[in-house]
Amino acid sequence: MKNPQFPIARKTGIVIQEVPDEVLVYDLDANKAHCLNQTAALIWKSCDGSRSIADIAKRVESLAGGNISDDFVWLAIDQLNENDLLENEISSSFSGMSRRDVIKKIGLSTMIAVPIIASLAAPQSAMANVSCICNQNSDCGVGANVNCPTLICSGLGTCNG
Amino acid sequence: MDDDSKWRLLYLKKLETEVVHAFSFLRDAGIEPILIKGWAAARNYPKDVERFYADVDLAVSASDFDLAKRLLRTEPGNKLGIDVHRELRHLDTRPWNEIYSNSQEIRLNDVMIRVPSDEDHLRIMAVHWLNDGGARKDRLWDIYYAVKNRPAGFDWDICLNSVGEIRREWIIATIGLAHKYLELEIDGLPFADQARNIPPWLVRALEKEWQSGMPLRSMHISLDDPKELFQQIKKRIPPNAIQATVEMEGRFDNRSRLRYQVGSIIRKFRPSFSGIRDTIVKKSEVKYRIRRPGGTGD
Repeated sequence: MKNPQFPIARKTGIVIQEVPDEVLVYDLDANKAHCLNQTAALIWKSCDGSRSIADIAKRVESLAGGNISDDFVWLAIDQLNENDLLENEISSSFSGMSRRDVIKKIGLSTMIAVPIIASLAAPQSAMANVSCICNQNSDCGVGANVNCPTLICSGLGTCNG
Repeated sequence: MDDDSKWRLLYLKKLETEVVHAFSFLRDAGIEPILIKGWAAARNYPKDVERFYADVDLAVSASDFDLAKRLLRTEPGNKLGIDVHRELRHLDTRPWNEIYSNSQEIRLNDVMIRVPSDEDHLRIMAVHWLNDGGARKDRLWDIYYAVKNRPAGFDWDICLNSVGEIRREWIIATIGLAHKYLELEIDGLPFADQARNIPPWLVRALEKEWQSGMPLRSMHISLDDPKELFQQIKKRIPPNAIQATVEMEGRFDNRSRLRYQVGSIIRKFRPSFSGIRDTIVKKSEVKYRIRRPGGTGD
């Protein structure tokens, strides 16, 4: 699958934390947390704007081993796109195939883990002390109320309208 | 590492980034904030002990408060999880200019972050904890580590005597509680005997609070949930003796807490009722707008 696109990993508006075998990314604009497995992280880090999909596949192959196809890289790019972790929008290359079909196809032919980007949800206990008290809609989604359920100040004075 | 741990680790890093951004952002407008609680408390903890916090508390001078609040409502300030405070309000009685002149700058991600002196911050954290009725046992560790890991030059005289006798008693009692429940070593502290002599009502109130499992919340938040509203009313009668005493600036002596609790009821129910009244008025206005012909309902 040939594609002349050169993806660039997003660098602004995110916070990155590396943990063993994974990279955690917090999107400050969307207030969302993501967990990239080692393969997804390797592909993401390879997106420097100078490498094509084929170049990235070769790089992953040399660093992680195995036989890496363009589809394998596209599987990561597709998820990076979806989670807004690329600077430039890359159009998906899976013509007529679902991601599940692609995983099935790739999973049988590669030795390394398929790239996966999972969402991390806030544990309820962690946010139990955020009050979400508001007087108007503009009080929600900002300041101490940045993680409240909605941006609507309900009639009860909380950001959960 | 489970997903909750990963999320907390990442979230704390996010908040650190926001602390740095907030300082740069406010400094650009000529405002110098002081970070309290949160990261400022966490830096006393050992590296392998997580101290989670959910937002960033910045105190600014009364003269800067309105501007700071306005700035933090606009881009990019509104994306930061900042709770801005007009000086220290009930948390401390030492004048702001003294708190500020004794504050210190600590490096975080190559930016100098202003936090209170260790002596002032211990007081602030203790009063904050007491003002919550001691409800969060985990936050007593803030006091534990602030005392245990205090720097060599820590001055107990500044910590305890730059406020009045009543607050001095509060701080010593809180340290005494950290000793009683968390085995904080207090031998050798100049007030060790006083710290061991915790009033019995304080222990009773604390253990009752820890056993209740229901945090105190503003009553108007619970209006849509009758069960929770009932529990919140029940929780206020009688009020938490620690919180009531602190709200009424009372002494931590052995006398009955009744007068503070009565005073607290009057003080607390007034804003609660006005909050409920405002909420009911707001809700009926919304209903009226929806029913009115041509009303947008928004």
